[in-house]
Amino acid sequence: MRFRKYALLLGVLLTSLVLLTVQARGGGPTRAGDLLALALNPVQSLLAKIHRGALGTWHTFTDWKAVRTENAALRADNERLRVQSLQVRETDQENRRLRRLLALRDRLPLTTLTGEIIGREGGGWARSLTVNRGRSDGIAQQMPAIVPEGLVGRVAQVRSGASVVQLLNDPTSTVGAVVQRTRTAGLVEGEPSGGLRFKFMARDGSGVTPGDLIVTSGVGTLFPKGIPVGRVTAIEDKGSALFHFALVAPAVDFARVEEVLLLTGQSTQDLAGLFIPGG
Amino acid sequence: MRFSLFLMAFGGSLAQSSVVPSWSIGGVMPDLPLIMTALVALRRGPETGCLVGFASGLFQDAASGSLLGVQALSRGLAGFAMGLLPGRLWVGHPLVQIPGLLLLTVAEGLLRFGLLQLFHYPARLSELFVHVILPQALYNGLVGAACVVVFETAQVLRRRHTWT
Repeated sequence: MRFRKYALLLGVLLTSLVLLTVQARGGGPTRAGDLLALALNPVQSLLAKIHRGALGTWHTFTDWKAVRTENAALRADNERLRVQSLQVRETDQENRRLRRLLALRDRLPLTTLTGEIIGREGGGWARSLTVNRGRSDGIAQQMPAIVPEGLVGRVAQVRSGASVVQLLNDPTSTVGAVVQRTRTAGLVEGEPSGGLRFKFMARDGSGVTPGDLIVTSGVGTLFPKGIPVGRVTAIEDKGSALFHFALVAPAVDFARVEEVLLLTGQSTQDLAGLFIPGG
Repeated sequence: MRFSLFLMAFGGSLAQSSVVPSWSIGGVMPDLPLIMTALVALRRGPETGCLVGFASGLFQDAASGSLLGVQALSRGLAGFAMGLLPGRLWVGHPLVQIPGLLLLTVAEGLLRFGLLQLFHYPARLSELFVHVILPQALYNGLVGAACVVVFETAQVLRRRHTWT
């Protein structure tokens, strides 16, 4: 048993040495090399084929891994860029809104304060916006809030650092207004449905028709004269009733208001010409 | 049994020329067939170690196009020597196997250099030792550690499978 292992070792040694000697004597690829090649070439060829196959499989695997990693990185990039794009679009829209608001502020002949909306109350019972301007900013109750499209409402509550603006379509809101074209006077009231209605005296010749612009009347000095309130969409003719009602589409989309101008000063001037239709 | 050993030698050589190059760090690659020879020799003794070493060395000689017999001889001797150790040293612990593998790589490298000197191999031993033999020995130690873990786990699983 012991001899067997040494015999094996001797066999390995001799085989290797014979191989080396035969190659060395031939000074390169010799007959022994040829003989060995004859025996080993098919094996080597097979080995090379398997090697190429294994290498191909390995490369496919590494490529797949690289592609997967790259794919994950690209997805992450895509997600990041999409968020960036949304942020840019949002900033762009904010920029446009603020530019229009500032342009209006520059046109107005009274002092104003810009406020950002920080809260909304949209149920049917009350409709209001909370603005980040309060007592310390000099805000007082009943101050009008406007945007480039027209009137938003009035300050109903003043707190420290914030104010609550009652929207025009709040069911308890009432604003003195006139039809710009006919100068028919009336009141714009909020409705529980979220719309507005214009209540006016049903006199002959009032001539209110759908499409007429309704602006603040300026009576009572609460709201400056000429701020757009909305457009008449339909007339509710009550026959011989004392009052008629006109349904009014608000000039302002209250759901989209992000910033407002709070009118801190007073003016007797008619402001209608300062508001460009559509903001 | 012999067929599985042949496959191991053959597969090790095949992996050495296909998969292992991608593990290269600074041009240094582990010598997978040598690691397998050493681990097989430690478990199966000098005869098996010698045969597996010879076969894998011959495959590598053939695959690399170098002198046939150099690696076959050095690996055969390395496998034989490694197979003799279990009776003389306590080689069951990985902390002995891994430094052992490191030393074996150095010894095999020196032996191969000695053999190649017979054929007027031009490189100097000092350069070869610093740039090839020693880094490869360290790398072999690391890969050997991983192989030992795989071997041990496979054996544990096999024992469990046998009991159930």
